[in-house]
Formats: sequence, C-alpha cells, structure tokens
Amino acid sequence: MKAASICPNDQTGCHLLPLANLFDRVIQHSARMHGISDDLHSEFELYFLPSKNQIGRVSRNCHTSTILTPNGKENAQRIAREELAEIILKLLVAWRDPLWHFHQSMSQHDEFTNFSSNKSLEMSDMVHELRKGVLKVVEKMQMLGIISNSVGDTGSPEALLTSDSAEWRFMKDYDLLYCFRRDSNKIQNYLKILKCRIVPKHGC
Amino acid sequence: MRKAEGGILLRLLLLFMLHATGTSYSPPGKPTLTRCRSPEKETFTCWWEPGSDGGLPTKYALYYRKENSDKVFECPDYRTAGENSCFFNKNDTSVWVNYNITVVATNALGRTFSDPVDIDVVYIVKPNPPENLALTVLWDQTWPYLHVSWESPQKADTRSGWITLIYELRIKLEDEDEWEEHPAGQQKTFNIFSLCSGGKYLVQVRCKPDHGFWSEWSSSQYVKVPEYFNREKSMWVLAVIFSAFALFIITWLIHMNCHNLKQCILPSVPGPKIKGFDEQLLKDGKSMDAFSSLVGANFPPTTTNYEDLLVEYLEVFVPEERELMLEETKELHNDSLKFENSTSDCDSGRGSCDSHTLLIDKSEEEKGQQPDQQSSEIKMDGKGQDEEDKYLTCSPENVDSHQLSSEKVKTWPSSFSPLPEYSPIPLQQPNSHETSKQPCLSDSLFAAGPLPSHFPHLGHNTKDEIGSSYWQFGISNKQLHLLHQQMEAHQQLQAHKNASVSNIGHLQLPSVRFTEYVEVQRVSDQNMVILHPVPSHPETSYPDWHQTEEYSKVKCVDNDNGLLLLQREGVEEGMDMCSYEELPESDPSKTTNTTFTSPCSQPAPSVQDERVVGGYVETSVFTLPTY
Repeated sequence: MKAASICPNDQTGCHLLPLANLFDRVIQHSARMHGISDDLHSEFELYFLPSKNQIGRVSRNCHTSTILTPNGKENAQRIAREELAEIILKLLVAWRDPLWHFHQSMSQHDEFTNFSSNKSLEMSDMVHELRKGVLKVVEKMQMLGIISNSVGDTGSPEALLTSDSAEWRFMKDYDLLYCFRRDSNKIQNYLKILKCRIVPKHGC
Repeated sequence: MRKAEGGILLRLLLLFMLHATGTSYSPPGKPTLTRCRSPEKETFTCWWEPGSDGGLPTKYALYYRKENSDKVFECPDYRTAGENSCFFNKNDTSVWVNYNITVVATNALGRTFSDPVDIDVVYIVKPNPPENLALTVLWDQTWPYLHVSWESPQKADTRSGWITLIYELRIKLEDEDEWEEHPAGQQKTFNIFSLCSGGKYLVQVRCKPDHGFWSEWSSSQYVKVPEYFNREKSMWVLAVIFSAFALFIITWLIHMNCHNLKQCILPSVPGPKIKGFDEQLLKDGKSMDAFSSLVGANFPPTTTNYEDLLVEYLEVFVPEERELMLEETKELHNDSLKFENSTSDCDSGRGSCDSHTLLIDKSEEEKGQQPDQQSSEIKMDGKGQDEEDKYLTCSPENVDSHQLSSEKVKTWPSSFSPLPEYSPIPLQQPNSHETSKQPCLSDSLFAAGPLPSHFPHLGHNTKDEIGSSYWQFGISNKQLHLLHQQMEAHQQLQAHKNASVSNIGHLQLPSVRFTEYVEVQRVSDQNMVILHPVPSHPETSYPDWHQTEEYSKVKCVDNDNGLLLLQREGVEEGMDMCSYEELPESDPSKTTNTTFTSPCSQPAPSVQDERVVGGYVETSVFTLPTY
C-alpha cells in the first residue's frame, strides 16, 4: 500500500498532500472544539464567579493530570511522534464520558440557556468525532510508513483509563469545564506540532 | 539571641527617631500585579505596580506557586524585564500550568501582600509586531498596485506549529487621519489596489495568536505611488458628462415640443357633444331652438306629400327576453341615418346595436299626424325590460315601450328623414319587397327587397335577389340587428303602399293601422323572431299582450320561402301551437286570423318559449293575397 494515486511521481512531497489535508481538517475541528469550551467557560464565569480567595482552589485536580503531557515547546518537539499521537488519543478518550455527563447535568439546570446546553452537547459530540479523525490520521501515517504501528486504537489507553479514573465524577461542573478547556487547547497544539513535524511544507 | 535583641532595639530606636523628627512612616502599600505577558508562549513576564512605600525604602518580591504544588518559588529574574517586573525564562515556564503569583512589598515597618493572580501562559500570549515590512509598487497592465509583505516576529515560532499567528495591516495616505484596515489571515503578503496617483502612503501591520492579544503596530513604512493615468476615472467622468449632455438635449426637446407632447400623452377628453346641438341655447331656455338643429330639414315634414310616404309596415313587438337587432344597410339614405352611438358597430352597412330593443321606425310615425293606414311602419322593436329602444340610428334611447309609438316617431326624425321618401319595403307582397326573413333559418333575417314575384323570401343573403331596398333583419345569436332598408326600395314600396293598407287590415292589427308598429319582441332560441304589434296610441298598454291572437309569429320557413307564422292565442300559451299562418303566397286569401296548418318544409324548432307573447306578421305577407 503505497502513496495516494493523486501524485504520479513522488516529487516535492506531493504524496503527502492528502495527509496534510487530513491534518488540516482535524486541526480545524479541534480549534472549533476549543472555541466552544472557551465560550462555555466564559459563560460559567458569569454565573459562578469562583471566589479567588478560596483556599481549596489550588487543589483543583484535573482527572487527566495522570496523563503525562509535554508542557513546553521543547518537550513537545522532543518526544516521539507516536508518543505524541498517543497522548492526543488518550486525552480524547479520557474526556468522552465526563463531557457526556457534563452535558446531562447542564441540561438539567434551569439557569443555563438552551444555547449553552446545545454547546455542551456539541462539545461532547466533537470529542467523539475528533477521536475518529485522529485515528484516521494515525492510520494514514502508519500507512505511509511515517510512524510505527505501535499507536493503536485497541491499545492500552482506553483500558487503562476506564478502570480507574472516576475522579471526574466528583468534580464540579466549573472545574470540569476549566480542565477541558485546557486539554482541548493541548490537543489542538499537539496536532499542529505533529503536522508541522510530519508535513512541514504544507502551511507551517 | 543578642542579635535579635539588637535588631529589635535598633528598630525601636529608628522608630523613635523617625517619630522624633516628625515624619510618619508606614508599612508599604499594597502592590498590584498589573499584567503578565508572554511573547512566544515560551517565556513570560509579569509587571506589578508598587503601592506607597510608606516613606521607607521598600523591597518587592514576587512569589509564585505552581498548580497542585505547595512549593513556593521566588521570581528568578527581576532585571531582564525592567523595573518592577519578573521574567520567567524557558526553564521556569510551564505551559498549561496554573501559576499563582503574589507580590510582596517589604519595608522596615512591615510587608504587604498583593492579591494573588492566577495565570496560564497559553492565555497571556502577546507577540511582538511583525518584522521586515516591505512595500512594493507593482503594475497590472496600466494600473499600479501595492504589494505588502512582512515576516512573523522572530521569537514566535510558527514554523514548528507551536504558535499560529494571524495578521492585519492598515494603510492611509500621509495627510489623512483615518486608517484603512485589512485583515490578512495567516498570509504574509497582501495587495492593495485603487491607489491615488502620486499619493504617499503609510502602511503598518500587526499580529495575534489564535487565543491571545494583538501585538503592537509595526513601524510605518512609506511608499510613493507614481503618477499614472486613471482610465477608469476618466471614463466615468466622460460618461457623466455625456449623460448630462444627453439629458440636457432631451429636456430641451421636451420643452420645445411641450404642447405636442401633452396632446400626445394626455389627450384632451372630449366632452359630450351632440353634433349640431348647441348647449348654450338649451341653457338659455330656448329649448326649441336647441332642438331645432337636431331636426333634419325634412322634419317635421310639412310639405311632403304624405301619400308618397305611405308605406306599409308592421309593428313588431319583440318579447323582452328576446332581442332582435335589426340591421340597416348603410345604403340607406345617409342623411337619414345617423348612427349616433354605435357607428363603430356598423360594419359593412349593417349596424349592429347591442341594446335590447331595436326599433325601426319605418318613418311614418313621425307623421303621427297621419293617422292613417297609408303609412305604416315596420317597427322592429325588441323590447327589453329596460325598454331601451334602439333605432336605426343605433342610439339607445330609453323610451318607455308603452309610449313607443309616438315618442319613437319623434326621436327618429333625423335618422329617418329619408324614410318618408320611401317606405319600407317588406310589407308588400310578393312583388313588393321582402321585409322579413324567417329567422329560424339563418342568422340573418332580413326583409327582402321587392321581389318581382313574391313574398318575403327567406334565406340568407337575398340581397341580390331582392334588388332594391329591403329590410334586413339580422338575427344572430339573439342579437338585434337593424333593419336595413335599401334605397331602391323606395319606389317600389310606394307602389304598394296603398295595398298595404288593406293588408294591414287583414292583419287585423289594432285599430290604427298605419301608425302601428311591429316590434320584434324577441328572438327565441331557435332564432325565431317574435313580433308583436305595437299599438300606436301611447296610452295603449304596451306590449299589447292581449292582442296576441291577432298576431302570429314566424314558425318556420317553408320551401317557397314563405314565412310561416304561428298564431298565438294567449300570452303564455304553449309554443307548440300548430296553428300558424302561412305566408300569403300559398294562399292569397288567407287572412292573418285564419289558422291552418300547412306543411312546413323546414319545420322550425318548436317554440318553447313561453314568454312569447306575440308574434309578428309581416304586412307584406298579409297583403300578398290581395295581389
């Protein structure tokens, strides 16, 4: 299974064009997801202004903090592509259930408008879609031989996460939103980094 | 221990001294963290605003705590970013980590903590402005345009995808105040068109990360656009001048032909006017004078020989449901016929009038003074409920049908002035003129002109056969046509006028024969003309239903073109009366009142119309036997 049939001969990275397009699409998708979470977070702050002087505030702990993520550019560039892809997938998987429950709890509260409720649903759906998209990208990359086959859907990430992390159930809605806003930004950024590492000539 | 005591002592002494000198000192005021910014998402700086120092030298320190850790760190670098700042370098910066930062002001008297601030580096990114802004004037055929290019700020790493920047540029002429802004997305070039010839422009550009703050505007770049000929502008100028010129010419033309145009577009509405009628006379009260103009030269005829005018005719009374339009050929005396109203309807010599009733006064009624038998008229009068009579002139006149006789006379004068000269033909015999046609046969019922041999023939266009004048009925689809009279009938009619008298007598028309009219009352479905005699006296009730028995209606046409008339006994009698009268030819001795059956070659459709109240008999028919 070789390169796409679009390019007759492999010059100027033409065969990577479909992959670059795929990347662009998932990046756009992730950007939209982050935008929604950002809007919701701002709206939350209007409703519940968390007092800045709360003592317990510092101990906010996102349930995804167990996933080790690069916290800087160098770190992100240093780790392997496969690992980066896997981190992305892990994050997406980790947020599947919490977002669904978040949406449920939001729709039950009367103080939220329909608009917010729709946004939470959209967010929840997007996580699913984005995961599928990233899987496709990974698949394509594996097909092209860019990354090894160690990244897998059936791999450990899901199995690991579903068993232990029930912590998110104890989190408040606002904290959940805060954590997700950040994680969606991570996902978007990691995808961009991944793209520019793999297909640098296409808009980086 | 001693040291501590010494320190405290010293402090107290200091305080005492300060107190002694009279100045007041206090612990430092509360500092505030104003902002924290990161230019490239890899390092960041925080600035604070010191509060009052309380008169004593105050030291500031920044402490921070990372998320989920209680360990407190102090700012690593107070200098790099300047006064009252703290710079976090790459090693100390963790993205996606919550920093809790506090500034502490310390002086001899105490320390004050600022409010803590939580920041995440991702959301405080404000890049440096773009660099290397370059302006070039390029040419697109004869048009110059400005090509602007720049580069991302050096520190921001867009190549690795760590940061994504979007750009915006703005441009203005040197002497202007307002900037024209153009968002440029992620591209690093931009083209600007529609430049002023010979203008000097300033351009600036700035950028922003996808979640962050706009950078400052870059320094201005200048460019001077060379002089060029703006064809588009000059073309517009020419177009405007040309259209203004054209508009001017058109206006001038309109002005010159103002009057003509007015006539053309808004023609003057013709006022109602009767030809020859002077309204002013009427207004003045001289009604007779006013009407005099309406009267023809021969009306009222005073010197004419009435003998000459005797014409036999029948009054035809048409029941109201039926309309019969009598047509009159245009060959009639022109000056007699004035189609006042429906000249437009008259074509090919046949006026078609669409009023309910059409009265054809065979002219004699005007001599109402002539009480006698010698003049007879055929009057086709279709009488509608509205009693609108249409005369040969096709002028609808609302004449009370009951008063048809006399009034009609009067109102027909102009159109019938020639009538005195010749009488309507058809009343005569076979050798007289045909006057009526069997309507049920064809569309047109017309009275044939004088036929040498016989009586009214029936059929379509017997004009030729008839020769001279005849009355012509046109019945088509229940339309009334005018009775036409041809000119030549004149003489021939005259020949028989005398005879007609007796014929009429046969008819046993109402007493006054010669002033009676036959009205076409209506045309039945089967195109039958139902005539009804019109009593000459106004006071006589009209229509004269009671006299129906004296009249018959045309039932059909037989082969010999005889008009078979059906005698009506009563007003509402059934139509299918078999009794009818045949036209004279077959039996000269017949009178109108005799009823008999005779074969009808062309049986007319049964008359079903219950409202036929009268028929008509053509006088000529009845006079036939006498000849």
